[in-house]
Amino acid sequence: MLEIYGQAFATVLLPQNLIAMVLGALWGLLAGALPGISTSMGVVLILSFTYTLAPMTAFVLLVGAYLGGITGGGITSILFGIPGEPSSVPTVIEGHALAKQGKAAAAMWTYLLCSIFGGLFSVLFMIVATPLIADFALRFGPAEYFALTILGLSVVSGLSGGSMLKGFLSCFFGLFLATIGTDGITGEERFTFGTVTLLGGVNFVVAMVGLLAVSEIMIEAEEPFKEYKGMVEYRGLLEELPRFSLFRKYWLTMIRSPIIGTIVGALPGAGATIAAFLAYGEAARTAKHEPAKFGKGAIEGLMAAECANNASTGGSMTILLSLGIPGSNTTAMLVAAFMIHGMQPGPLLLSQRPDIVYGIFTAMIVINLLLLAITGTAIRLFLQLNRLPYSVFSAAILILCVVGAFGINNSVDDMMLMFVFSLIGYFMRKFGVPVAPCILALVLGDLAELSLRRALLLSGGSPLGLVSSPISAVLLLGALVSIVYPLIKKPRMLGSS
Amino acid sequence: MKTKGEIVFFAVCVAFFGFMGAQAVALMGEGRAGEIGSALWPLISLCAALGLSAVLLIQAVRRPAAAPVGGEASEPDARDEARRRRKAVFASTACFFLYLVAISFLGFILATLLFIPAFAIALGERRTKVLVAAPLILTTVMTAVFIKFLTIPFPKGVGVFAAFSRLFY
Repeated sequence: MLEIYGQAFATVLLPQNLIAMVLGALWGLLAGALPGISTSMGVVLILSFTYTLAPMTAFVLLVGAYLGGITGGGITSILFGIPGEPSSVPTVIEGHALAKQGKAAAAMWTYLLCSIFGGLFSVLFMIVATPLIADFALRFGPAEYFALTILGLSVVSGLSGGSMLKGFLSCFFGLFLATIGTDGITGEERFTFGTVTLLGGVNFVVAMVGLLAVSEIMIEAEEPFKEYKGMVEYRGLLEELPRFSLFRKYWLTMIRSPIIGTIVGALPGAGATIAAFLAYGEAARTAKHEPAKFGKGAIEGLMAAECANNASTGGSMTILLSLGIPGSNTTAMLVAAFMIHGMQPGPLLLSQRPDIVYGIFTAMIVINLLLLAITGTAIRLFLQLNRLPYSVFSAAILILCVVGAFGINNSVDDMMLMFVFSLIGYFMRKFGVPVAPCILALVLGDLAELSLRRALLLSGGSPLGLVSSPISAVLLLGALVSIVYPLIKKPRMLGSS
Repeated sequence: MKTKGEIVFFAVCVAFFGFMGAQAVALMGEGRAGEIGSALWPLISLCAALGLSAVLLIQAVRRPAAAPVGGEASEPDARDEARRRRKAVFASTACFFLYLVAISFLGFILATLLFIPAFAIALGERRTKVLVAAPLILTTVMTAVFIKFLTIPFPKGVGVFAAFSRLFY
């Protein structure tokens, strides 16, 4: 085994593969950072360049873009409050709040170190436990998926701030938004009012950008004029690097979050978003140190979300390589890459092309380290953006949001929809209704509904089918505890603050 | 503390979810055994949202009204400040909306060139250097990255504006 990994490292560290990993990581960072250009789109855009490359070079380029994309979402999330990916929403909530408190450098370093830790953890987990993860993922049917999405939605209790009523209102609004468009089972049009724009449903990127980023600019427009966003002093690497004591303080979160990320990432269709929100919600619910800070710049929340976010990549790749099932949109693109090079991911790949499988494992380790070096070097540069005049900074953010909304379907209608969501987000924030639960519900709502309906179809309409397996029963019980426990702990959270 | 805005907001929520709930009822139809149809899930979400909005509306109405901070003497100041804030938000929001509309007619480049100084002025920017230099630099960067490098096909505009846009993309 050691010999195999030694050979894999030697292959991965060849000059052409190293260059491919660096370029892929850089491209992925850019794609992940920009809203509207998702990680999966970033991978698709460079897929055509891999036709003429050697298989190993092609895969490390694409995996570099994948890992870079997941990591890159945190940059604009923290600095500008624009989530590059849905999985970056918890990062926006906590990381951007920290940046507004003048702790942008600390937030950036924490996000980066936790991202890399999560990524490396999941690769090592992957190397050791691929058969176990694969076997567990195969046990998930519609009932289990429904239970998982309900568990994911139950973290609303942790995202609600002072009022669970408002948090759940936001959540149910998001669930309703997810139903707009064409029904996935019957094909019936729901709440489209005859418009073509809404036929495909509400795109979560459009909603995300409008509800979070644009509405934030509108809220900030109320404040007295400021010339600059805020000078961020960078005191040097040794001063800004988070102390080891910080990670020791939150050791439970640092262990739990990557495990959640790896396992949830292994579930096809679940991916980084559920992983990030689940880990974030768990951290919020079980926080011992400064639980009141969640939603206002809790470093523990940022750590949990970023660890899980990046750890999901290992889980997704495990399922792809061992079973041939893509765990996320991006790994679905990687299936295409395999087919381009005449390979089929799945159980036979390990025996037919072990060099490729082990090469990808080792490449993921190297890419995570490269991302640490690249992003770490660039943090100081990113922070210089705060020196821009505030009015120009805000205009630039709005233009990025417009690009993000337009770039999904090249549609002007999406830009207008984003504007509508920005107004909704503005009023939600004005009256204390949290926006994050709405986005979470919008992302998970479709999967929850389809899983519920499929589970009921399989059980002939009997709701007992939803709790028939131990996995779904445990997950639903966890969701119930997640919702009820904060109410017992703090009954006043039921009110509206 | 009660505010009029909060009452109006939750009243609008009640009206919105009620209207959508009525639309969802129209979706209900017959299905096969075990098939719950397209209406149930939206109805569950909308009924829950309607119920929560109603509760929050009642809570907002029953809450005691807010007393002005600093007593009656500061009321005109507070009203002036509130008016200033509303004006800033309205102006910046209107700028943004007009920008979105203008992109289709003027093209991305021209619309962006006009939007940046207008938005900056709406936020209170008065420095001439910023108002002149920033639009040119920012528009150039955005054009280079998104139109040239990423080849996102932004609208070119109409008539003479389209001809101007074609010089660049």
